[in-house]
Amino acid sequence: MQNKHTIRDRCILLTLLFIFSIGTYSLFGNIKSVNFYELAGYQHRVKGTVTDSNGIPIPRVNVEIKGTSYGTFTDKEGYFYVDAAPTDVLILSYIGFKPLEVLVGNSEELSLILEEDVTNLEAVTVNAGYYTVKERERTGSIAKVTAEEIELQPVVSPLETLQGRMAGIEIIQGNAIPGNAPTVRIRGQNSLRTDGNYPLYIIDGVPIISTPIEGGSNMYIGGIDPLSSMNLSNIESIEVLKDADATSIYGSRGANGVVLITTKKANYNKKTEIETRWYSGLGKVSRKIDLLNTEQYIALRKAGLENDGREPNEITDYDLLLWDQNRYTDWQEVLFGGTSYINDFNISISGGNSTTSFRLGGSYHKEGIVFPGDNNYHKATVNLNLNHISKNEKLGINLSVNYGLDKSDVPATIINSFVSMALSLPPNAPELYNQDGSLHWEKWNLSGRNNPLAPILNRTSTDRGNNLVANIGVSYAIIPGIKVKLNGGYTNLSRRYKGLFSKNEYRPELRESREHSSIENHRERSSWVVEPQFLYDFTFGKGTIDGLVGLTFQENTSRNLRVDGNGFVSEALIGDLSAAAATNVINNKEIDYRYNAIFARLAYNYNEKYIVNLTGRRDGSSRFGTNKRFANFWAVGGAWIFSEEPFIENNLPFLSFGKFRGSYGTTGNDQIGDYGYLDAYEATDGPNGLYPTQLTNPDYSWEVNKKLEAAIELGFIQDRITMGVSWYRNRSSNQLVGFPLPSITGFLTVQANMPATVQNTGWEFVLSSLNLSSKNFRWKTFVNLTIPKSKLLDFPDIEESSYANTYRIGYPLNIRLLYQYDGLDSETGLHTVADINKDNTIDDINDHSVIKDMGRKYYGGITNNISFGNLDVNFLVEFVKQEATSLYFDPPGYASNQVIGVFQKWKNNSPDIQKVSGNYDAFSAHNLAMNSDYSISDASFIRLKTLSVKYNIANHLKKGLLSDCSIFIQAQNLFTFSNYANSLNIESPGNAVIPSLRTITLGCQVTF
Amino acid sequence: MNIISKKFKIRLLSILGCFIIVSCEDFVEVDSPNYKMDSQTVFDKEETAKAAVKGIYNELFNSDFSNGYTNSISVLAGMSSDIFETTSVTDTRYGPFQQNEISPGQTPDATANFNLWSSAYRIIFMCNSALEGIENSQSISEATSEILEGQVRFVRAFTYLYLTNLYGDVPLILTTDYRRNATISRNSSARVFEQVITDLDMAISFLETVGDYENLERTNVNLYAALALRARVYLYQQQWEKAEKLSSLVINQTSTYEILENPDQVFLKNSREAIWQITPIPIGTFQFTYTWDGYFFRGNVNSPVKLSSNFISTMDSQDKRLLNWIGFNESREFYYPQKYKDSRSRGNITEYSMVLRLAEQYLIRAEAKAMQGKLVSAIEDIDVLRYRAGLGLISDSNPQIGKEPLLEAIRNERKRELFSEWGHRWFDLKRTEKAAEILAPIKPLWEDTDVLYPIPDEDRSKNPNLTQNIGY
Repeated sequence: MQNKHTIRDRCILLTLLFIFSIGTYSLFGNIKSVNFYELAGYQHRVKGTVTDSNGIPIPRVNVEIKGTSYGTFTDKEGYFYVDAAPTDVLILSYIGFKPLEVLVGNSEELSLILEEDVTNLEAVTVNAGYYTVKERERTGSIAKVTAEEIELQPVVSPLETLQGRMAGIEIIQGNAIPGNAPTVRIRGQNSLRTDGNYPLYIIDGVPIISTPIEGGSNMYIGGIDPLSSMNLSNIESIEVLKDADATSIYGSRGANGVVLITTKKANYNKKTEIETRWYSGLGKVSRKIDLLNTEQYIALRKAGLENDGREPNEITDYDLLLWDQNRYTDWQEVLFGGTSYINDFNISISGGNSTTSFRLGGSYHKEGIVFPGDNNYHKATVNLNLNHISKNEKLGINLSVNYGLDKSDVPATIINSFVSMALSLPPNAPELYNQDGSLHWEKWNLSGRNNPLAPILNRTSTDRGNNLVANIGVSYAIIPGIKVKLNGGYTNLSRRYKGLFSKNEYRPELRESREHSSIENHRERSSWVVEPQFLYDFTFGKGTIDGLVGLTFQENTSRNLRVDGNGFVSEALIGDLSAAAATNVINNKEIDYRYNAIFARLAYNYNEKYIVNLTGRRDGSSRFGTNKRFANFWAVGGAWIFSEEPFIENNLPFLSFGKFRGSYGTTGNDQIGDYGYLDAYEATDGPNGLYPTQLTNPDYSWEVNKKLEAAIELGFIQDRITMGVSWYRNRSSNQLVGFPLPSITGFLTVQANMPATVQNTGWEFVLSSLNLSSKNFRWKTFVNLTIPKSKLLDFPDIEESSYANTYRIGYPLNIRLLYQYDGLDSETGLHTVADINKDNTIDDINDHSVIKDMGRKYYGGITNNISFGNLDVNFLVEFVKQEATSLYFDPPGYASNQVIGVFQKWKNNSPDIQKVSGNYDAFSAHNLAMNSDYSISDASFIRLKTLSVKYNIANHLKKGLLSDCSIFIQAQNLFTFSNYANSLNIESPGNAVIPSLRTITLGCQVTF
Repeated sequence: MNIISKKFKIRLLSILGCFIIVSCEDFVEVDSPNYKMDSQTVFDKEETAKAAVKGIYNELFNSDFSNGYTNSISVLAGMSSDIFETTSVTDTRYGPFQQNEISPGQTPDATANFNLWSSAYRIIFMCNSALEGIENSQSISEATSEILEGQVRFVRAFTYLYLTNLYGDVPLILTTDYRRNATISRNSSARVFEQVITDLDMAISFLETVGDYENLERTNVNLYAALALRARVYLYQQQWEKAEKLSSLVINQTSTYEILENPDQVFLKNSREAIWQITPIPIGTFQFTYTWDGYFFRGNVNSPVKLSSNFISTMDSQDKRLLNWIGFNESREFYYPQKYKDSRSRGNITEYSMVLRLAEQYLIRAEAKAMQGKLVSAIEDIDVLRYRAGLGLISDSNPQIGKEPLLEAIRNERKRELFSEWGHRWFDLKRTEKAAEILAPIKPLWEDTDVLYPIPDEDRSKNPNLTQNIGY
């Protein structure tokens, strides 16, 4: 029965699409076919030059034959070649200039001058995944960042370069070690499950599994970014699709937004060119916390003993009795204050004739890791892009292959121990090394602590990755306006981790009872995708129709094998599993996922004024039970360019552009483990056993996200100033969470769709302004601002669920439930929190009465691009308004370092800190306060995220020697301003994690 | 021009046609992954069906109620009786068990109680799943399927016996249908007992030919394990004659079982005194190979539980069970059980966790005989254990002992022999209705309703049909 339904649904959808397509053709086909005959006329080669009004050649101008998608770009000298018929019209477009349309006529050489224009809406096209749209005419919400903003940033994860540059997109680097996956949220958190909020990543049409890969080293808190081995210099643009209009065509994978990464391509008719770029630089952590020096620390400790009325003893007060009272070490400097040396080299060769073009590139990137020891991150990439178009321009082929290798030596440790140890170690803790260079143990032993360098020096941790992303596309124009296309992609990402743990990391006297051990962990993801498509576009009168129908077949396979070895006879043999006394297979999993879809788009544009865009997708996924595999998603978007209306043109002459747009539609989220619907047994911990590990519900299905958006876009004074305001409301329901059950059923939950609803609303503002523009001076400013708001609208029986202590109905998802701080107890001088239910005990379930929103209240960025002759300066200031809990420190009086503020407050007898004391009551009172609103403070920040200065010296050189030569300085995270004193990583306040590095790099770029 | 339009339509149609043909529902079918096996497939083959039963044995080692660790019956029921005491006066987990003031709510003791309860029902689920699998299987031979069913029914009976002994009326869940089970009510303890007996009787008949242990491992249930447990049930039901008969069947199987002379050898793996044991599972890189019982009662400074002074005072100073099975922590001056010697080994299993052993059968038979007035013969049985303990025999010292004093002696012998094992003392006090008499004087907060543990609130809030025991 179910099959019949799905077949029937599909037939209806197809029939509708068919009627749309045929209908439009039958209506307007005749008009079109006249054009067809004309187009088939005589073609000849046209050579052209393009200059600006000052006669300076403009490179990279897009030259396109109107009504086709064929075209080329001008080269560095402003030349282009194109094969065209005399009746053809060429459209020239380039950012910052007014587009130009010229009839080819019979002349073989054209001299064209582009008029400077601040408006760029006409020319800019944005990639919407399966199709592209003109920025001016788009109906959906799509943000775009191009190569210039990405390629110079010395970071490993491509998406980190987007920080502060796009409205509605939060990118948080939770732990700034190279390759750590940043958290990417497009318009907030939609799924209640924290692991159900990854956007869809697509590189050149090939979907990439966006879930971070489990890191070998556990320092990778967020996992390793699956994009880490991409070459940033090979990225042409990154587009982020946000609303239903843009994401519904991705159906069950579009709920959390889509990130499209397009790699660079070469142009046809372009002389062979070699572009090289090198940069080198230094990086250090961008923030440290001001902690006590030895004198202050000891004063505080002694005050604690005095308050407790206690004489120091050697067991607990080793820092006062056994350690040097004058020694001082800045442990932050020792444990994560290292300098990271950065080197990056990039080369590409590109060129093409009229039918074939190529781009071949390679890169090498190396950066150091700020922890002690000689640890580095390396990345090497190669990439190839080939394009071919047949002489008659009917057949098009493109191939892109991106291959990357990387290797990370980030040490393995107890999570964050280097960082939290650096913050808590007393400043007078003893020396790390003996005179002879060996590790010092004796004084550390007195405290029961390990020498903090011991683990890092006695462990070797290497994580190697290989990543291949390949895509081939073949298209054929059956008749003008009708094209078939086949896209195929293959990806393979594998990572091999090897961790070697010598027992020498333990104190000498403990080593006897310890063993050498190793971890070997292999993770592999491969996938293929095939997408046959059928595209059409027709022009008739004032209207145009374009659209597409396509199919997707995709299969992902993930494998994981982890084997731990234990009891190696000697240090030299660690990692040789055949020499292990015991090996243990921790994980050996192979997961298969298959996905099938049909999708379509139909857009109607009347007179470039009224635009309607319909998209839809029918998805089938192996993640769900047989009854629930298929579902439909759709969206409708529309735009009205009201500035084209005469009454606006006449009455509001300063308004050069005005558009209303809006969209509504559905998307889905299928980010739930595979095979969850299977009634299956798994191996038990013990040998030879099988057991059922869960209750099975074959009837769960997608989370559904209904997205609504309304926006206005305006341009003033010939689009010198453009701005956009959008409002969105995304409601995500059908949440896939564990349905709570009594334990007598055997388990506490069963996977099911709950009618819980999460709402994300927000306002997004973008503004771009050409402040000054003269022959030698140009200053542009871009501003983006996002004001997000999330709310849990509904969650039946939340008290019974495992989310009872995480979420509250009517509140944002990103909340903390806290005690209510009640000041200092007048007798004990210790913190108190309110006993809400008056039962004389403080417990989190009954006494958590304060609900604090930890999310960002608003955030954004301001970019300024200034060019002055050959000098370009641009910088980005990022700002975030947020509150956060304090980073955890032990209570003052304990043998643990403190932030400087605590000392000052103690000196001033401030009622803001509790009595300095080392006893247990002080400890519990302190912990209650840390879990109360006492620990909340403003954690907003403003940061100079990037600053780059570039000078083009090509003009100083002999003409024709080099087509481009520039030197540049790029700085990241130069300054951060925040009142939030005690956090390292301001992006992830309250956690003892490494902040983004402050880096300065110097480099040059030469093209010849 | 119309021709082109027609041509185009045909092309369009054929392209769309291709799309429909190639897009098929079968594409999104995937096979089970390498680490999961479809339930049906599991019971299609004898090998994997056996693995499903082995899975239950393995999980008994991990399961809270049966593992001998922090939330196990051995520890918690021992606290509720007069065997154990907390080492710290402020222990919030074990204190309430010792005081018989367990909360059904959210305190640490309630969590322990909930883990005890829910882990038992997890095992019940596994048993029900296996029984359904075996029943629906077409391809396992009848002989194998009977043996497997017998073993699973035994484990289910064993688990329900403990559940009803601890909680009284409990939901009797015999299927895996969570939709139905989520709202099920409690069944009377009589009904649960009935099911225990049905399961055990079926186990006995299915295991009739299985007198030996598979692979000589006493972790696999055989006929005698089923008989031994059935003897215990008869004892609990005061059917003395039948209890005597079944325990005799086990005791007479001298080719398999004997009372070992050396107390230190009793708890070794596959010891000849063992009727059913649970093997430790070497897990993780460190390959821990000791029992949880051994680890929990290792008697170091952090041990939360000690043997009560009351209990120690009832032991003769020459009793080998005091000398060999009890340790003493010098620094904190407390006694702790030391039946298991291994609390830290890696890589080599020497001890299994004991569930049923021959000594209990002697005690069952002694009591059953005494109840029937066969005093001389009862003394013989009890003397077997006294002899091993190095104590004087009753047949020597007091052969004319009367029925009541003899029963009293048997009860004390049970206490001294089976302490720290599976809450025997707690269940003995309850079944002989002596709990109030013996515990009230030493536990100031004692109430007669304390003989049953509370049904955890956590389940009651999700299943409103679960009622609470009186007194909570």
